[in-house]
Amino acid sequence: MTGALKYEWVRIRTIASSYWMSGLAIGLSAATALLIALFSSAGDIEELNIVQFTSWVVTAGASFPLIPVLAAPFFATMGAMAMGHEYRYGTNKATLTALPDRVAVYAAKVIILVGWVTAAVAAILLLDLAMAWLFMSNPTLSSDAIRPVVNYWGYCVGFALAGLSLSAVFRNQTGAIVAVLVWPYVIEPIIYGVLGAIGSSSDAGIIRLTNLLPSSAGRRSIFDPYELAGFGGAIDTWGVGASTLVFWVGVLIVVGAGVASFINRDA
Amino acid sequence: MALIQARGLSKTFGNKAAVRGLSFDVVPGSVTGFLGPNGAGKSTTMRLMLGLDNGEGVTTYDGVAYRDLKQPLRHVGSVLDAKPFHPTRKAVNHLRMLAISNDIPTTRVTDVINIVGLGDVANAKPKTFSLGMGQRLGIATALLGDPSTLILDEPANGLDPQGVHWLRNMLKTLAAQGRSIFVSSHLLSEMALMADHLVVVGRGMLIASGKMSDFISTSARNAVVIRVDNPELMTRELRARNAAVVTEPDGKLAVTGMDSDAVGNLAHELGVRIFELSNRQATLEEAFLDATGASEEFRASMGFGAQQPGLGGPGFGGPMAGAPPGYGAPPPGYGPSAGYGAPPGYGSPPGYGPTQGYGAPSPGYGPAPGYGAPPNQPPAQHASQDGDDNR
Repeated sequence: MTGALKYEWVRIRTIASSYWMSGLAIGLSAATALLIALFSSAGDIEELNIVQFTSWVVTAGASFPLIPVLAAPFFATMGAMAMGHEYRYGTNKATLTALPDRVAVYAAKVIILVGWVTAAVAAILLLDLAMAWLFMSNPTLSSDAIRPVVNYWGYCVGFALAGLSLSAVFRNQTGAIVAVLVWPYVIEPIIYGVLGAIGSSSDAGIIRLTNLLPSSAGRRSIFDPYELAGFGGAIDTWGVGASTLVFWVGVLIVVGAGVASFINRDA
Repeated sequence: MALIQARGLSKTFGNKAAVRGLSFDVVPGSVTGFLGPNGAGKSTTMRLMLGLDNGEGVTTYDGVAYRDLKQPLRHVGSVLDAKPFHPTRKAVNHLRMLAISNDIPTTRVTDVINIVGLGDVANAKPKTFSLGMGQRLGIATALLGDPSTLILDEPANGLDPQGVHWLRNMLKTLAAQGRSIFVSSHLLSEMALMADHLVVVGRGMLIASGKMSDFISTSARNAVVIRVDNPELMTRELRARNAAVVTEPDGKLAVTGMDSDAVGNLAHELGVRIFELSNRQATLEEAFLDATGASEEFRASMGFGAQQPGLGGPGFGGPMAGAPPGYGAPPPGYGPSAGYGAPPGYGSPPGYGPTQGYGAPSPGYGPAPGYGAPPNQPPAQHASQDGDDNR
């Protein structure tokens, strides 16, 4: 396991895309945080909930429903590359002849990727916090911000792991990147729309099935306040704990499929 | 020192068996060539040996399976792809990454990158590398752990003549140090210079395994060549003694089934004057084509035949047309039993040796006028290396 960790640590540090993806995630998030901070300063701050606004700035807008988690696609792409490069460039054979223990190889990729993404998310949060302190008139963080911040980190990590695991399933980097991006931004909204249409015309209860969409559930778990997730009570949304659980169950299913594929299939 | 023992290697893709019960040994101190037509299962076999593919059978290195080797790069070095690296990761970092996984000192990275002649481009990105440079980087990877065993799949692909020469000398030197070298190649002339032993496969099954000299000596292309003043009489009398005789374009007789002493004595008894009497030794390429003629997975259906007149006809078989009746089956000692072959039950089953009907080119598939091989040259045979066929 130690050898696999050393290998993966060198691997992730010696490839330019690791820095590009992380840099873009950090830069884009900081820019978004800056815009939100400036917007809050320009508006009537007395009428805004400054605590929530600070939370939105710190999470680069992710805890506000109308702004996506901008960093997640970059980390998902990094995850897809962590495994996808092995297949795209045929390095999996060199990797597995050096490290025949496939479980160790996969575990090392997961550990190093999670560590890398955690560091990058920490950088995002610190930069965003700096934006709040520099450009907001009266930034205020409360303990309520812990939950969206933690789930923001979890959302980014979950997407990175999904990208990695989809690459193992597809054995194709491009396919994994497409899948990990299309699912949250295309497939789930379509399902949302279809279930919503059915719910409004016949069976109102069917809309509750949207609670089972993992990406949307993970997204909701970041909202601050969480009540924003229910669209003003229009949807019977599960609680934050259940939404977080749905997200991680979805991630773990994909990770499980990736592990099974990587271990059992030919190199 | 590392004895490689492969036993019962089998691999199936869907309904198609790529490797069937393959068993052989690779002995220390030798370069063992791994030969077979395209699609014969060579690469699959090597992947099975390294635990990269799931299949049946087991390969051990001094009695230890690959997956059980601790720090395997220190025991077995391998190259399976021509360019197995990320195009933008510096060559030196590619090697460091692999070295650190097996606790190989960084100084060894510098050593091997200089050994393979890439010292000047160690910090370059491999996307700028030629195929030959990529092969050299792959070989550097294999040498990282100073292993006692090397498994190389087509390592000479893309190398220039100097590179091929360097590779040959290096592998022979490494073998002389007591290491086991198992190398596949389509460059039969190169293999003839490099290898001491051979493992020959066709359609996933063992055709031959043993010393190269023994393999070549059993080729149907070994013949006694005689030039006499009365070839008709000589031919008749030779055939009466069950020897196979082919009249070559220059009037010489190529005799198989009798040694040169017997042919000379017969000429003397008949009062035939001999102008030339010699033994013609088959090349590795000829022996290989004899042995694998019916085992080709992919055959071109048309092409410019290049068989030398007289060699392509019935009784001798064109080089790509398979061996004639009686020459197709693995010769004694090369079959699945007796000495060189696989253990009982692992060899070629009946029906996989070249059979009657493959001996002569079909009408219309022979050499077109003007496209045959020039006189006194062996038939063109290299086309088979890329899955093509001169027939």
